[in-house]
Amino acid sequence: MSNLSEDIKELVIFRLEAFPSNRKVSIGSYGEFTKEELIEHVRKGDEIGKKVADIEMEFIRALKEGIVS
Amino acid sequence: MTEMLITRPEHDKTTHYLSNWSKEIINIAEGKNIKVFDLNREKAIRTNVEVRLRKLSCNLTFFNGHGNFNVITGHNNEPIIIGGENENLLKSKIVYAISCKSAKELGPRSVKAGAVSYTGFDDDFIFVYEPENISRPLHDNTAKLFLEPSQLFMKSLIKGNSVREGMDKTKKLLADNFLKALNDNDRDSAKYLWWDLKHFVSHGDVDAKLQ
Repeated sequence: MSNLSEDIKELVIFRLEAFPSNRKVSIGSYGEFTKEELIEHVRKGDEIGKKVADIEMEFIRALKEGIVS
Repeated sequence: MTEMLITRPEHDKTTHYLSNWSKEIINIAEGKNIKVFDLNREKAIRTNVEVRLRKLSCNLTFFNGHGNFNVITGHNNEPIIIGGENENLLKSKIVYAISCKSAKELGPRSVKAGAVSYTGFDDDFIFVYEPENISRPLHDNTAKLFLEPSQLFMKSLIKGNSVREGMDKTKKLLADNFLKALNDNDRDSAKYLWWDLKHFVSHGDVDAKLQ
């Protein structure tokens, strides 16, 4: 994914806000992250932030295509 | 006699979870009279993996760990299988790697070098877990949504099913858990289950079974 636009960042961060604080995500070799850490990476638009946005956008596409109702 | 090599590094939280969840596979395999070579923790290094793969006729190899497009890593992220260097050691073996992204390039390379099949993830394998359960990962019901399907592939192979049947069962359980997460209004787990489902792939002879 290319550089994250501010709109995408805003959308992804909005959706990440709902992630429970008592859970963490293991993203392969990138490591384990809390909600706050994920949001920070998206804000920075770094490699991990782009990966998180990629996952979010793939899920949104699936919703849009009706694969997920 | 069927032989299985399994690597289980445990140097961080992700490998700690993978290692603990794959213990059951060892028990099931031994119950089926499969000889298991378990390279756990600091034993999961390249030298040991190469010795085992050269010396033994392990029909089945199960890698747990980190990785990248062309690499599977072991203890402390030491590369243990590297495309272009030692993937030929996987010749004549059914390979399963819960090692991020490795099914993208290393998978096809291994099959080209003679592996029967290579199953894994062609992008990052992602799971959600409950930090309060870090000391007892098998009681983590959130991680279970992801790790139970990831282990099901091995269970299916050991029971005598083909690679394709193992794939189908794993994908079905990922899909079932995805729907369960959606029904429970757990969209966060759902989106990561969706991601894992989309990136779980097999290369090579998918009709192969353990001999």
